[in-house]
Amino acid sequence: MKIKSLFVGMLLALASIQASAHFIVMYTPQTAINRVTDDIPMNIVFTHAFAGGPTMSMGKPQRFYYSKRQGVGTPSEEVDLMPYLEEIQWQTDGGNVSAWEANIPRNVMRSVGDYQIVVEPEPYLESGEGLYIQQFAKVMINVGGVPGNWLETLGLPAEIEALNKPYANWTGAVFRGIVLSDGIPVPYTQVEVEYLNHPLDVENRRFQEQGLINAPHPSLEAQVILTNEAGEFSFAMPKAGWWGFAALSVGPQREHNGMPLSQDAILWVQVTDLPE
Amino acid sequence: MRMTRSYLLLILLALGSQSHAHTPLFDCFDNSDGTLTCEGGFSDGASAEGILIRVVDAQGKVLQQGELDARGSVKFDRPSGEFSVVFSAGDDHSITILGDDIV
Repeated sequence: MKIKSLFVGMLLALASIQASAHFIVMYTPQTAINRVTDDIPMNIVFTHAFAGGPTMSMGKPQRFYYSKRQGVGTPSEEVDLMPYLEEIQWQTDGGNVSAWEANIPRNVMRSVGDYQIVVEPEPYLESGEGLYIQQFAKVMINVGGVPGNWLETLGLPAEIEALNKPYANWTGAVFRGIVLSDGIPVPYTQVEVEYLNHPLDVENRRFQEQGLINAPHPSLEAQVILTNEAGEFSFAMPKAGWWGFAALSVGPQREHNGMPLSQDAILWVQVTDLPE
Repeated sequence: MRMTRSYLLLILLALGSQSHAHTPLFDCFDNSDGTLTCEGGFSDGASAEGILIRVVDAQGKVLQQGELDARGSVKFDRPSGEFSVVFSAGDDHSITILGDDIV
């Protein structure tokens, strides 16, 4: 029975509409911050994370906000960050594409605790694959080391629930999470894991040409793992930097403008080398 | 047998809750309106509500004091002279921040 349900789950995972290797990158230099002394910069770029391209033009997000719980036993609160969002032109080999940046004012993000920062984009038409992609992307920042709501879910249609603090992982750490569809764990679904191999050149608004890793095989670029029967996954992160986790086509909505829709969940994890 | 295991688990959980790393964390910032906000907590997520925060001058005289609220926060008027803010949660849990470092 268990084997049968495993096969059914795997078939469903394979049969679902998926556009692989796409990642909404949410980049900020540091997610574990001792003290906020300046505005917090963030770049939001829709690309293929390991390859550093092709990079897609991204429409204005529907929502951009953080969720924060101040203190213990208090409710989490959402703060709208849309007023700080600006469209920028991101340089690619094929010309400029629209991306987004924000300088989140210090007085909006200086309190100690966790900030779950979320982008909810417009569905993107991937005409080459004949479908829309809508990635609900999260990155978490902590200020001052006081834990907050990092383990709370936000009720997104597609979401990765973190079982480790995404901002507190040494190189080699095992990251664990649960893939959720409208809050319900998704068994035996694919999670793509990609290293942000081409660091952002924020000043020139492009990805650095030279990658940090030369992967000897495509399967090592976009690594694919499956959740278990409880919707959980784990992945050991062997290199410092940014690791993106994408659960593909797990959201409940399957159609947009009469075409297939893949609602994906993205979570970014920053990995830190042990000091010498 | 199952009952014994349950009791053991409960005991271990109870012991565990008392042996967490429990590092105090505290910081203050200037609100640019003549006031300071100070915030505290613990590294294991424990509440710092009720912990006494004192604003003292260079001689250690208490100028203002207040307790952290449910949000782990307390507000003070910024003193004009040299001062520091002290978070005191027991002998091993004291943190002092110099006024000049509160920006």
